[in-house]
Amino acid sequence: MEKQNNIISVKNIEKTYSLGDIKVKALRRISLDIQEGEFLIITGRNGSGKSTLLRQIGLLDWPNRGEIYIDGQEMTHLQKKKRRKVRHEKIGYIFQEYALIPELNAIENVMLPAMLIEPTKVCKPRAIKLLEKVGLKERLKHRPKQMSGGEQQKVAIARSLINNPKILFADEPTANLDSIAAHGVLEVFEKLNNEGHTIVMISHEDEEKKYASRIIELRDGNIL
Amino acid sequence: MKYEIKIPFFLAFRQLARGSKWTLALTIFLMAAVFINLIFVSALFRGIVDGSNDQTINMNTGHIVITPNGDTILPQKDSIISKIEENTNIEALSDQLQLNALLSLGENNGTWNILAIDPEKEKSVTHIYEKLFEGEYLETDDKDGILIGRQISGGEGVEFDVFSLHANVGDKVNVRIDNQEREFIVRGIFYSKYVEADMRAFITRTGLSEIAPEMEDATNRIIIRATEDADLDLILSDFESRNIAGTFYTWEDMAGVMKSVTQSFLSIDVILSTVASLIAAVTIFIVVYIDISNRRQQIGILRAIGIKPYIIRTTYVIISTFYSVIGVSVGIGLFYGIIVPYFIANPFSLPIVDATLVVSPADFIIRAESIILISILVSLIPSFMITRMKLLNAIWGK
Repeated sequence: MEKQNNIISVKNIEKTYSLGDIKVKALRRISLDIQEGEFLIITGRNGSGKSTLLRQIGLLDWPNRGEIYIDGQEMTHLQKKKRRKVRHEKIGYIFQEYALIPELNAIENVMLPAMLIEPTKVCKPRAIKLLEKVGLKERLKHRPKQMSGGEQQKVAIARSLINNPKILFADEPTANLDSIAAHGVLEVFEKLNNEGHTIVMISHEDEEKKYASRIIELRDGNIL
Repeated sequence: MKYEIKIPFFLAFRQLARGSKWTLALTIFLMAAVFINLIFVSALFRGIVDGSNDQTINMNTGHIVITPNGDTILPQKDSIISKIEENTNIEALSDQLQLNALLSLGENNGTWNILAIDPEKEKSVTHIYEKLFEGEYLETDDKDGILIGRQISGGEGVEFDVFSLHANVGDKVNVRIDNQEREFIVRGIFYSKYVEADMRAFITRTGLSEIAPEMEDATNRIIIRATEDADLDLILSDFESRNIAGTFYTWEDMAGVMKSVTQSFLSIDVILSTVASLIAAVTIFIVVYIDISNRRQQIGILRAIGIKPYIIRTTYVIISTFYSVIGVSVGIGLFYGIIVPYFIANPFSLPIVDATLVVSPADFIIRAESIILISILVSLIPSFMITRMKLLNAIWGK
């Protein structure tokens, strides 16, 4: 069994992709424990398997083998619907490309995941608060194309927080941002981590490592 | 569940209101074009059929024809006419004497039907007077005048020109009925495009009295115009109950070759409508498929943030329903606002009839419903495909 304070526990997971006839082992029997409140940065070269690992523990993909525990519950054998429920309630996921809905403004993008379980009059004020928290008080009704990359990423962070998840996964969230915007986004992550959120983030940048409470490096599908 | 049901409407409305206006306009225009394509051919065939039926009624038979029961003429004509006129659904009638006559002009001659009429009464039942190609209509007391159809006069483009008299207005045509003959002056030539009607000639009762005085009051055919929307079967039952001595026919019974032609058009309409429906289904599928496929990445994002697949599918069903309802509405507007008025002003000039566009309400509703139903069904296919594909592939737009 996983330790009590491990919010994520990964046991011997493997992931193999098929590229035509060629099989690529992206993850090779990886085991990893992440404690509640940690700010973990996963680093490594391109093709080392870090994004693959994040997608497995972020429940966007299934490993070929191994087990994943989130908040004590085993995930790999869960049905799609139950996985979606866990993803919806316990996980916030931030993509490198922001992944916002272009026709929705900042408030609407943020409150959308909460609209499944709450009336608009409840989730809308919360969305506004979250946008204010990430520094977008002046951009509430702007649509993605009316905002800079950094602002869009902050909207994505606010959206990931709308259901008050324990864990935030971020896949190279600053990769498309200039250094000032990247700094703004990382400050938001730091603030969230200080409030108790567990953050698992992929990063290439050395200067970002200072925000982490722990860093792991992947190479050829293994943790070094 | 209580709250999530409104998400498809929320997403659909935002996508429609804030998405590309060009894409929206183009999609709606395509839907409208598909709808017009679906009703246009059918409307044309209905127009031809209705036009042909109107030709039979307006150029030949009226709504009802009464002929003698085995005799050569209708006995007690005045009594029959007064009994007919007692029916409140009768608008007008014209008693005619229809005879075979040999018409000659120079070396040209032929046998055609000639009808002795009261021109004013005839005017109230048939519309021959509106179809004058040359000359003028007959006056009631014109004892020398004859009105001939264009198949008798002949001319360029006339089907039976080779057998015609090659007559013009003002020519003196010799008319022979039984063994009596007389010259009549061609007052007018009519051309209704209804060949059976255009192979006839008309003289007045006064003219008949000059050539066959013993038949001046004889009648062997009464044609009747009923009021609009009158039930012809009820009128015929009424005639039978009044013991009117004669055989009754509706215009449909008398339609002859025209009936086969119209039935052929209706059969072709069914075939072409089926083909048009298939083309409509494929076109709508392509339009909706491209629209939804372009949103594959967006659908992937929606799934990644926890939006349930049925919500995503419902969103696209709502969007497709919107496209089709508005498309059909635009199609109706274009069809009735521009296309139908244009073809009323400029009918299709066909050899048998000048046709406009006619759509029955039932056909109209079926076609509008088909477009909407097809749109809903075809929107489900790509949205099912995308919501069932691997989440990562959807997010990456693969």
